Amino acid sequence: MRPEERRLFRLPQRLAFSILLVLSLSLLNPGCSLRRGGLIRVSGSTTLLPMVQEAANRFMAIYPGSTVLVQGGGSSVGIAQLNEGIMDIANSSRDLKEGENKGDLVDYKIALDVIAVIVHPDVRVENLTREQIKEIFTGEVVNWKDLGGADEPIMVVMRDRASGTREMFDKVVLGGEDPTGSAIECNSNGIMRETVASTKNSIGYISIGYVNSTVKAIKLEGAEPGAESAKKGIYPLSRFLHMFTKGEPSGRVADFIEYILSEDFQREVVSKEYIPVIEL
Amino acid sequence: MLSISGPSLFIKQAMDYLRSIRKRELHIKVLLMICASVTFVGLLLIFIFVFRESLPAFTRLGLPNLFSTHWNPDVSHPEAGNYGMLPFVVGTLYTTLGGLLVGAPLGIGSAIFIDQIAPPKIGTAIGRGIELIASIPSVVIGWFGLTLLVPMIGRLTDTSGFGILAASLVLGVMVLPTIAALSLESLRALPSELKEAAYGMGATRWQTIYKVLLPAARRGVLVAVILGMGRAIGEAMAVQMVIGNSRQLTFSLTNGTSTLAARIVTDMGESSGVFRSALFAQGLILLILAMLLILTIRLVSREKKETVR
Repeated sequence: MRPEERRLFRLPQRLAFSILLVLSLSLLNPGCSLRRGGLIRVSGSTTLLPMVQEAANRFMAIYPGSTVLVQGGGSSVGIAQLNEGIMDIANSSRDLKEGENKGDLVDYKIALDVIAVIVHPDVRVENLTREQIKEIFTGEVVNWKDLGGADEPIMVVMRDRASGTREMFDKVVLGGEDPTGSAIECNSNGIMRETVASTKNSIGYISIGYVNSTVKAIKLEGAEPGAESAKKGIYPLSRFLHMFTKGEPSGRVADFIEYILSEDFQREVVSKEYIPVIEL
Repeated sequence: MLSISGPSLFIKQAMDYLRSIRKRELHIKVLLMICASVTFVGLLLIFIFVFRESLPAFTRLGLPNLFSTHWNPDVSHPEAGNYGMLPFVVGTLYTTLGGLLVGAPLGIGSAIFIDQIAPPKIGTAIGRGIELIASIPSVVIGWFGLTLLVPMIGRLTDTSGFGILAASLVLGVMVLPTIAALSLESLRALPSELKEAAYGMGATRWQTIYKVLLPAARRGVLVAVILGMGRAIGEAMAVQMVIGNSRQLTFSLTNGTSTLAARIVTDMGESSGVFRSALFAQGLILLILAMLLILTIRLVSREKKETVR
């Protein structure tokens, strides 16, 4: 009985020891690196989160000892935290609202997001007016034949409430009206593309960087979605993505913003999803 | 190192003490009691937390708003939005039931097949296959549903393919291993005398299974279905990918709609204020729904027991 009992209690002890060891190591590690180098705290838009996280990883590899902490939370949260001084940089997928700038926020435009209206490749429609798209998304027009297409029901696909893409689309195209209740809701650009590509007679919208051959991007008011038309101001579905700082940045924070605006980063990472600001 | 030798020393002293009073089983009892109470306290804390977080929604939005059929949250002015969750309550009940209708017969059926009918080797092979299904992450099943199942349903029914039917099939696959494994365990736990006695009285194999073994294993099978249901009612990821996440109240199998869990996942990203609280209220309703369903299954099965005997 006794030796068995002893063996029984050796394993949990060993386990407890190793768990404590791992925990204490994981607690110690970031503490050390925080003290060694500069810490940059970034929060805000979830649209920008993947890109800024990528920037943070690359930046930390270039500047060993520096630490960039990137959080989501949304544009409003990021700007509020910047104003409170909790964050060094606020990512935002929209312009500043009234009252958010107390006079000391500095605006860096880091990318141009152009949103393309996409349809399933079999849909024959090539061009829609803003009014027509509004009628589709509010559920007033429910058949492609009313828009010069085949006699098929329209499947509306839209983004979720939290999406900055949807926020702009609702504002620019729907004018704040409520989208139809039967619309399919997708959580990301990638899932939206997959859904439109696999659903017949569907229509949706994604960032231009995500458009590929599985979906068909259509013209809006006769203008092709892209950098050219957005620059000329004839394509309304575009917006700048911003980084805000409280006062002129200095030290590592300035280095980080400089890195994001650098040609390398803009060409290699930003261009995958958005239009780089260096091309404008 | 100091902090580690501390607790282990304590354990040793405590054990010596326990040995000295010659109650060797006591420490096991205490350990198990701690395990059980951690589960209970955890459940209680979750309940309290969810309730506390959802309170603002109930007090500031009111029940008529929360239990309407119109869901249209407002991100910048949360109080002005509409937070009706009825379409999602209906969607949750619908998909859970659908998932069980698909998964339970398949699961119980395969358990009976493995235990009673199949030759041992084939039974083992099928058992391993079911275990493998259990280990597939829900995102993978959801992705499979989105790229294969939804277009297929779309072609067959001439709709978008998103909706309750797709979600039910996906959930059926997800609850199948739980139900099959637990039913199999309860069938295997039956004494072999039951089967031998049934055969001895001249019952056929089917009669033995249907009249003797299944009723005898009923409790275990019931637990299997309840746990399967628990998985189905709370599944968010896979359902969210195939149900369409529309905001409409629908009773059609191929219209897009949403469930409580899927809606929480879809909208939690940038929710704040009462919007966030309304999502917690959905979580609370989901918890209550799950408990009501379990209670109903228990009650229904109790009545059956009385009529059978």
